[in-house]
Amino acid sequence: MLTLKNLRVAFGEHEVLKGIDITVQKGEVVTFIGPSGTGKTTLLRSINYLEKPSDGEVKLSDVGINFKSANKKDILKLRRKTAMVFQQFNLFKHKTVIENVMDAQIAIQKKSKKEAYEKSCEELEKVGLLEKKDMYPSRLSGGQQQRVSIARALALEPEVILFDEPTSALDPELVGEVLKVIENVARSGMTILLVTHEMRFAKNISSKVVFMDQGHIVEQGTPEEIFEKSTHIRTRQFLKEYYETEEELAVANV
Amino acid sequence: MFKFDVLAEDFIGILMVVPKTLLLAILILFLSTLLGGVIALIQQYRIPVVAQIVKVFTSFLRGTPAVVLLYLMYYALPQIAHLLLKIVGIEFNPHDLNPVVVVIVTFSLTMSAFQSEIIRGAFMSVSEGQIEAAHSLGYNFLQTLSRVIMPQALMEALPDFLNSYMVIIKALSLAFLITVVDIFAQAKIMGAMSFRYLEAFVAAALIYWLISAILTALINRYELRLRKAY
Repeated sequence: MLTLKNLRVAFGEHEVLKGIDITVQKGEVVTFIGPSGTGKTTLLRSINYLEKPSDGEVKLSDVGINFKSANKKDILKLRRKTAMVFQQFNLFKHKTVIENVMDAQIAIQKKSKKEAYEKSCEELEKVGLLEKKDMYPSRLSGGQQQRVSIARALALEPEVILFDEPTSALDPELVGEVLKVIENVARSGMTILLVTHEMRFAKNISSKVVFMDQGHIVEQGTPEEIFEKSTHIRTRQFLKEYYETEEELAVANV
Repeated sequence: MFKFDVLAEDFIGILMVVPKTLLLAILILFLSTLLGGVIALIQQYRIPVVAQIVKVFTSFLRGTPAVVLLYLMYYALPQIAHLLLKIVGIEFNPHDLNPVVVVIVTFSLTMSAFQSEIIRGAFMSVSEGQIEAAHSLGYNFLQTLSRVIMPQALMEALPDFLNSYMVIIKALSLAFLITVVDIFAQAKIMGAMSFRYLEAFVAAALIYWLISAILTALINRYELRLRKAY
């Protein structure tokens, strides 16, 4: 249901994504892994048109966009079918938790305040933060802010949710609570694209893992195929750095 | 010796022109903010030619004393108005131009340069990430501006605007140079009438101080509330 064809993104002279093709089925959890600066985040941001690709096509159910000729209307349509969860949470700091979750429902989906409020309570309940609904984001921990931003994204009932390194900005002890929420989202049948450096989490949660390097997709497959049976030297090298102990290395069979 | 009854008399006399001064300052604040907003927009989007002209214009305004500008406008503005109106076919006597208009125009122009900086700073204070978040949720340009950027920029700018208001009130003391009667001019008049200048100027100083103290208290309370919120 989500298809990318020949996606290319360049920052000036430097080409970050060099022709990415990928298909994601409804309900799939696709994780992108690879070294820093490989273009994983750029890939996710392109799907939301936060980066302007120089070439390529994206198709998401009935919306199809050619990046060379994208107009404002198409871009808005695409954005309204997708939702993004950022590394830095990016909550609206002048709005309370519940207002953050409600606002787009009112502004974009034209829901009544009451409807939006009820939906927001429901989503906040799911991420376990209903009792914080009247607080301002600055009063919350990073992990809590990220959970609110997930609720804000889910409240719009997008077809795809894009997680861009959702735990990278968090203190280690806060990572777990956010991963747990993401896991619940995955279980609910939501289509997910995820960029992460949490390898164990990626291995457990993904239906498909994509290994990227230098703007290319090197290989993709089931977690087992990538984490344990990969024959690509780049993949194996990359994964090796992520297993810390000898024990883990042995288990992973790298 | 210093006479307290004269001071009280002067104080009340000067109070009479306080509303006029405050109103004049509000009008100037409003106009300069409007103009400052336009300047900020032009600079933000780097509109060719206009942006360069604005740059020279603001640099001139910032680099010239207000007194000089006030005199300059006092002698130039009537002529300009006369010329412009002549083009549209209206006969206008340069000597009919109310000096209050000159004061409003001059201070609106000088303050606009400062107001534009405040507005620019306020807009920049809204993090890029929040704007991206709005875009990613599907907000269009106007929705992003009105629901995310403006409310935060306004809260950021409001204390600075109040400060500008104080600056304008004090700057208006120059208006007496071109016969407009504000707080300071009134003090001069009252002093001249009784030949007791000291009491008159003490009264004027007290009134300026009072106004600024009230405004400062307002700003502080607002900022405290702001910090409590987020």
